[in-house]
Amino acid sequence: MKRQATQAWLLLSPALIGLAIFTIYPALQSFYLSLHEVDPYTAARSWVGLANYGELARSTDYWASLQTSLVFTLATVIPGVLISLGIAVGLDQSPYFKGFFRTIFLLPVAISSAMAAMLWVFIYNPTAGYLNYLLGLLGVDGPNWLGDPAHALAAVAIATVWKELGFNIVFFLAGLNAIPGEIQEAATMDGASAWQRFCRVTMPLLSPTLFFVMVVSVINSLQSFGQIHILTGGGPAGATTTMVYGLYLEAFVNFRTGYASAQAVLLFLLIMIATALQFRLAQRRVHYG
Amino acid sequence: MASVELRQVSKSFGNSPIIHRIDLSVPSGQFLVLVGPSGCGKSTLLRMVAGLEDVSGGDIAIGGRVVNELTPKERGVAMVFQNYALYPHMTVEQNLSFGLKLAKCSSADITARVTDAARILGLSDQLKKKPGQLSGGQKQRVAMGRAMVRQPAVFLFDEPLSNLDAQLRVRMRAEISLLHRRTKATIVYVTHDQIEAMTLADQIAVMRAGFLEQVGRPLDVYNDPATQFVASFIGTPPMNFLPATMFPTGAVPKGAVTVGFRPEGTIMGTSGQIALGRAKVRLVEPLGTIAYVHLDVAGQPVTAETKALVAPALDLELPLSVEPTALFFFDAAGKRVRSQP
Repeated sequence: MKRQATQAWLLLSPALIGLAIFTIYPALQSFYLSLHEVDPYTAARSWVGLANYGELARSTDYWASLQTSLVFTLATVIPGVLISLGIAVGLDQSPYFKGFFRTIFLLPVAISSAMAAMLWVFIYNPTAGYLNYLLGLLGVDGPNWLGDPAHALAAVAIATVWKELGFNIVFFLAGLNAIPGEIQEAATMDGASAWQRFCRVTMPLLSPTLFFVMVVSVINSLQSFGQIHILTGGGPAGATTTMVYGLYLEAFVNFRTGYASAQAVLLFLLIMIATALQFRLAQRRVHYG
Repeated sequence: MASVELRQVSKSFGNSPIIHRIDLSVPSGQFLVLVGPSGCGKSTLLRMVAGLEDVSGGDIAIGGRVVNELTPKERGVAMVFQNYALYPHMTVEQNLSFGLKLAKCSSADITARVTDAARILGLSDQLKKKPGQLSGGQKQRVAMGRAMVRQPAVFLFDEPLSNLDAQLRVRMRAEISLLHRRTKATIVYVTHDQIEAMTLADQIAVMRAGFLEQVGRPLDVYNDPATQFVASFIGTPPMNFLPATMFPTGAVPKGAVTVGFRPEGTIMGTSGQIALGRAKVRLVEPLGTIAYVHLDVAGQPVTAETKALVAPALDLELPLSVEPTALFFFDAAGKRVRSQP
């Protein structure tokens, strides 16, 4: 028994060491720093208690970034999940194209978010971009997508949905693939129409996948950074400054490490609450075979 | 109850034909078993009757009405699948009532039918459980119940017992037989297991490579096989086959190149009228009341069934003989050649 336990710990150790160095230690350090004021030049720390949190609570910028984050999350997760689910169901019906399109849709996931964002910089360019060119063909005068506070967040959200689509599709396709064809046929024999089969057989059986994709999408959205950084830099006029982007600005532009750490802790809490909430809401609706 | 009629039914996937112009008639209330080796097209044929596969040629009629263009729902058939195909997210009760709810039956009617089916199948205590909590046999019963509650004109079974262990298979076989007797429904049942076919069927249809080899009552097919394939497929252990040249002239009719005889017609000793020469014992399989003795006759394998309490020893050489009435003759194409009276 004891030898087995030693062996188990030994085999687990690479992962545990990695987790400790890159996840647990920084998390604890963040919490520790969030209770301090850190001097940007000397890195000297002075204890300030919950002052950083107090300042955050009073900061209108912070509340605005929280709101931006929530809007951005809703605007990326809901369309992202619905569109990818639709595409996956469509691909699942056409076995000949499944492999080909799965690869096509997965390509954006494989390229770095900086690269993907650069692509969208070209697309969104108000004078030379493809989007406004196409809109022009339709007789629509396209806006300055990334430069107009009214459109910037939507523009970043569209780019994000596009980038994440393939990831979701692959999971949905795998989930659909796992539903035995015989069950669909049994429902057909039971007299279910295609829509009834989708609602009453496919969706319940796909619910664990849907739940997983939802949770991961929400977390990814709340942590989005690369595309915001490249596309808008949090602007214009803070219109795309999400919580993560605000945290970045405080930590690496304003060098207020303690204050940024407090934001990191709050972001962590927000993600935890959002995930817990989803688990709670989904508990009754997710069917694990 | 309704009859099932197949007229010149064929099926191709792309350019490859799977089913070749099959004519088959299942009178109302009859239990027909489609039997054949894997890949012979029996499941495809069943799925065509169900409406899960299109018909490439010919007509399928259920209750006298051609159903080629009808959806499964409109055909009035119910199917039991090989892997049960229960809805894993629904309870047993919901599984049973799903089709009835879709058909907009009244809730009183649904309750009555579900309760009735559950009682008949011994599932009354399992109604609130999900399929994941049931044993293989119980799942199979739920699958049968789901077909029963719909009170279809025709039941279709697609290898329903192949996932069960041997003991359970025997028990479920009996239950399906009882179900047929109780409901008097028309049943088309697909299996590759010839024992299932023999024990369940009113009529057996033996298929091979998309063709119908023979249709008939189980014992007729056993006692009077039309082809060498049927002779070898129906019966366990299978019929023995030897080249006609190994038999004395006069014993074999003209045109026959192969002679067949069943293990139970193989006599270890000289009491049969036709002597087959000496055989060597290769293997003995004792089954309790009988034993199968695997022998080697001039390099050809032959199996004999014996009721002797003491089976012959391995490597023993003994004479083998058969009665002329136990012989079946086949031509080069595998067709039966009847001996002249």
